[in-house]
Amino acid sequence: MSTQTETNDTFPKLLRYNARVRAERPAMREKDLGIWQSWSWAEVYEEVSDYAAGLYALGLRAGDKIAIIGDNRPRLYWTLTAAQVIGAVPVPTYADSVAEEIQFVLDHAEAKFAMAEDQEQVDKLIDQKDHLPGLEVILFDDSRGLRDYNQSFLWNYEAVLEKGREFRTQNPEFIERCIDGRTGSDVCIMLYTSGTTGQPKGVVHTHDSVLITARNAAELEGLNERDEVLAYLPMAWVGDNIFSFGQSYAAGFCVSCPESSDTVLNDLWELGPTYYFAPPRIFENLLTTVMIRMEDAGKLKQRMFHYFMDHAKKVGVDILDGRSVGLMDRIKYGLGELLVYGPLKNALGLSRVRLGYTAGEAIGPEIFEFYRSIGINLKQLYGSTEAAVFITIQPNGGIKPDTVGVPAPDVEIKLSDRGEVLFTGPGVFKEYYKNPESTADTKTDDNWVMTGDAGFFDDEGQLKIIDRAKDVGQLNDGTLFAPKYIENKLKFFPNIKEVVAFGHERDYCAAFINIDLEAVGNWAERNGIAYASYQELASLPQVYEQIQAHVEETNRQLSTEERVAGSQIKRFLLLHKMLDADDGELTRTSKVRRRYIAEKYDVLIEALYSDKKNCRIETEVTYEDGRKGKLAADLEIRDAKTVAIGAGAAAQAAE
Amino acid sequence: MSEMMADNENGRIGGELLSVDNITLRFGGVKALTDISFNINKGEIRSIIGPNGAGKSSMLNVINGFYKPQEGTIRFKGKNVNMKPDLAAKSGIARTFQNIALFKGMSTLDNIMTGRMLKMKAGFLSQAIYWGRAQKEELENRAFVEEIIDFLEIQSIRKTPVGRLPYGLQKRVELARALAMEPELLLLDEPMAGMNLEEKEDMSRYIIDVNEYFGTTIALIEHDMGVVMDLSDRVVVLDYGCKLADGSPDEVSSNQAVIDAYLGVAH
Amino acid sequence: MEALNALFVTPFVEIFDAPWFFMEVLTGGLMAGVMYSLVALGFVLIFKASGVFNFAQGVMVLFAALNFVGLMDAGVPMILAGIITIAIMVAVAFAIERFVLRPLVNQEHIILFMATIGVAYFLEGVGEMIWGTDVRPLNVGIPDDVFFVGDAMIQQSDLFAAVVAGFLVVVLALFFHYTRTGRALRAVADDHQAALSIGIPLNHIWVIVWSVAGFVALVTGIMWGSKLGVQFSLSVIALKALPVLILGGFTSIPGAIVGGLIIGAGEKVAEVYWGGFFGGAIEEWFAYILALAFLFFRPQGLFGEKIIERV
Repeated sequence: MSTQTETNDTFPKLLRYNARVRAERPAMREKDLGIWQSWSWAEVYEEVSDYAAGLYALGLRAGDKIAIIGDNRPRLYWTLTAAQVIGAVPVPTYADSVAEEIQFVLDHAEAKFAMAEDQEQVDKLIDQKDHLPGLEVILFDDSRGLRDYNQSFLWNYEAVLEKGREFRTQNPEFIERCIDGRTGSDVCIMLYTSGTTGQPKGVVHTHDSVLITARNAAELEGLNERDEVLAYLPMAWVGDNIFSFGQSYAAGFCVSCPESSDTVLNDLWELGPTYYFAPPRIFENLLTTVMIRMEDAGKLKQRMFHYFMDHAKKVGVDILDGRSVGLMDRIKYGLGELLVYGPLKNALGLSRVRLGYTAGEAIGPEIFEFYRSIGINLKQLYGSTEAAVFITIQPNGGIKPDTVGVPAPDVEIKLSDRGEVLFTGPGVFKEYYKNPESTADTKTDDNWVMTGDAGFFDDEGQLKIIDRAKDVGQLNDGTLFAPKYIENKLKFFPNIKEVVAFGHERDYCAAFINIDLEAVGNWAERNGIAYASYQELASLPQVYEQIQAHVEETNRQLSTEERVAGSQIKRFLLLHKMLDADDGELTRTSKVRRRYIAEKYDVLIEALYSDKKNCRIETEVTYEDGRKGKLAADLEIRDAKTVAIGAGAAAQAAE
Repeated sequence: MSEMMADNENGRIGGELLSVDNITLRFGGVKALTDISFNINKGEIRSIIGPNGAGKSSMLNVINGFYKPQEGTIRFKGKNVNMKPDLAAKSGIARTFQNIALFKGMSTLDNIMTGRMLKMKAGFLSQAIYWGRAQKEELENRAFVEEIIDFLEIQSIRKTPVGRLPYGLQKRVELARALAMEPELLLLDEPMAGMNLEEKEDMSRYIIDVNEYFGTTIALIEHDMGVVMDLSDRVVVLDYGCKLADGSPDEVSSNQAVIDAYLGVAH
Repeated sequence: MEALNALFVTPFVEIFDAPWFFMEVLTGGLMAGVMYSLVALGFVLIFKASGVFNFAQGVMVLFAALNFVGLMDAGVPMILAGIITIAIMVAVAFAIERFVLRPLVNQEHIILFMATIGVAYFLEGVGEMIWGTDVRPLNVGIPDDVFFVGDAMIQQSDLFAAVVAGFLVVVLALFFHYTRTGRALRAVADDHQAALSIGIPLNHIWVIVWSVAGFVALVTGIMWGSKLGVQFSLSVIALKALPVLILGGFTSIPGAIVGGLIIGAGEKVAEVYWGGFFGGAIEEWFAYILALAFLFFRPQGLFGEKIIERV
């Protein structure tokens, strides 16, 4: 029996194992019609077996692809395993994709089957069916609204189960045989990445890569069968596949599906997960909600909140990391837990969280520290689809907000000459589906993967990601210039909304800055400063003063970091308008379009690299109703103090 | 018309459910409705349209028993009725209001539960004595209400006091409460008034879904012509309290009197 | 200076000098407050369900008590007298619905208010006609010994009244929250139109509410009658419910209870400690001053719904 773990090298085998050793423990939950329904491991195994047999009976074979489209639903998760039982490959896609995007993925993956959540998704598939000659069968979970659909290729989930049961009575050994016939080197899943450029690529993973990575991280963090997870992030995203599927199978914990995408917050609160992942944006939004609610609260409550939050800021993180803290401070923190932190965590649905992860983009240090200070063990990780998530994880007790931690178990990392991060380990993907060129571009023959991110290790061996490798440039004196790294540092100030930094092939670093209209506007209102427009607000000397202070603080921070100390911001200006997607300055996902901005505002850039004190500019703007107009302004350009590099390095050495 | 025939053959639309015969309604000396007659068939979506002040709401209020007409009769399920609103509800007519009449202090769930009030048998005393049976009844009705919540996709506001909900959602809760009554005839008083385009589309979809899924006969009032034409099986047009036209959307929109009185008028 | 002393210093010194006596005054006040609460409760019930400010609530207390005591004096056993009185109050409710509310449906609030004044005079007249104007002592076997807590003397009958009132409130709360009728009542209180459209018959609800208010009036009448005897001044004392309502809010049951206790305790304490300064008998008007002051700061009352005027 002890060899059991050894031989559980595929997810179907792991499911069978769980159904035996923790048969009665819950494996999956879903809130349906207002009530949490649950399924034990044994029930899931039975259902998946019927389902797999049904899929086989309908014609799904080893190597075939089955697309999965919809929100997080138990039956959609079971489709993963059921497909894997017969050796077919599941291809989850994003539920909010439009029909054409789905068409691309299904066509590229040559999907023969598709499992759709509901009418909405079925409609998309039917819409594109003519362009998908390979698609033979569409299954659906929720039959609402589909009563009058009589296409012969449409199958209700229940009907498939029925077929599966029939098939199994005739072939009682079928499922066991299928499961035993697969090994860890078989393909487990295909995940399409929505790359920033070009068409999505299908990342192919084997059972080994997903399972070993999931198990390694679960063991590192001590996850076990009593943990609780709410599955609410897209199934097509590698993170969900690891957190809500891979690790659930590996550690045996229960995964719950929310009632609908609108009820996630409430479901979170009812369920109280112990293991929780969210992108920084969600943590940010939660915090904003808390702050807004506190604004509305009574005076006494507000004062209490701020008093204890200040205390948490002082000692909360140390207590969480197990460092020594004075008795009085501990007692005060305990009182705070009773009066503020506890109720707050409860309101957020995070009171039972033992382990929280965030990743995907940089999280503001203040937000990060806020959650940690009230006792939530939130950690950042660095990962990618090609790695089956985990590349680095912040180590318990050694968390620094501006790094992404140390290499995950069995993962090795090295840096290229250009500063690009490369990794290798058990989670390395097999290939990009039908795309050998990209595979060769990304993965070396000896299994190292290029992440495309530039970074460096700090003196404690923790990895710091600074930018996309292709965006990293050099100043004329050869100093590394990582625009996004600098911009993010500035954007963490609430007063600053957007930053565009320049410096590649220039003598020094300079920046355009957009102030945050809400934050600065609030400040102006509180101080009785009148302003009529963004333009006016951004031209106020007091505002310039504030931003200058932020820039200089950023320079000080940069000066302490050897690799970027040379790229401090010498000159900056506050733009007269918000960068806007309607004007083509941002992408629709609010990312800065550097090249376009550089062209459009070349006058301003030239002025930044001269000794002018101000500069006149006229810009065309698009108003919300689509009208166009001209906006003219005379912008002030300021010099910011920089810290001598030697001084910074010396200061760091002294520490 | 041919479409309607097809529906008839499918058995979606049945015989007459309600008929309005020669209704005249006066407020003091003012005539709000003059000699109006039309009928509503089982299973259809029937619209009453007209410019503001045409008497649409008065018509609905007469059917529902809020107003008592001076002349004319209303027959529901073949019987002459002259009812009060609460009796209308008992006989299977549910309605929503243009200005939304919800129990503002109660949660969404409680509001919809009130729609089940008539379905619950247990009275005051029996509730006290047969606690268990009353509990069971409560649960059964709750299950039904949950179906509706699921149907109208309002799970996320189950526990929210309706007074705090945005307008569009309040309208949906009101529809949910009316549906909880399992009505044979559902009267919707300007279900899309004050909504933006997206909300209107949502509401249209729900109305069609309700009609198809529950087989509920729906009579609705709207002044937005576009919406109505897509939804309705038949349309009655009122203007200044008089009936101007009655027929399929195509017939009505090509009727010269209607074009003159209504479509020609810029709003 | 002396006046200030008498107002702001001496009373507090007295309170601290003799805390047990203060306790005694306070409990006495609270017990009287319970009575106010009960009357206010009747007001609130009717106001919530029908939007009618029922001026006759005080007289209903008197009328119920008169019938009860009259029947008992005529030799009817107590329980039976209670049942008959309840039946009478229900009949009154029916009559009010049929002859007052129904004909006046959709009329201005002020007209309905005037109508309840009419009802008040009518009931008072009928009561006088049948039972006469004598003060009738009422004894329903409520214990009226005294006992001591510390040095504070407490009347058993007061305590009994408090227990009965508390019980009544709990029963009403359960009724409102857990029964179908209670839910219908709440629905009607919230929105008439909506209530009608889901099939709640308004007329029945009005009868039920007025009957419940009649029942509450009977309980109040018995409590008060056994303390002071059943007499016509009862209906005047019942008007104390007005400041209670201002304090507690017209639509809040807990408001009626708390408001009653505050007014009861406030006026007793004021009378004992500050009465001398004003030349006595401030009990008569203190409650109104308190209510006025309160109106100034929180017009919707302690627990009342926020008043949002639509413009």
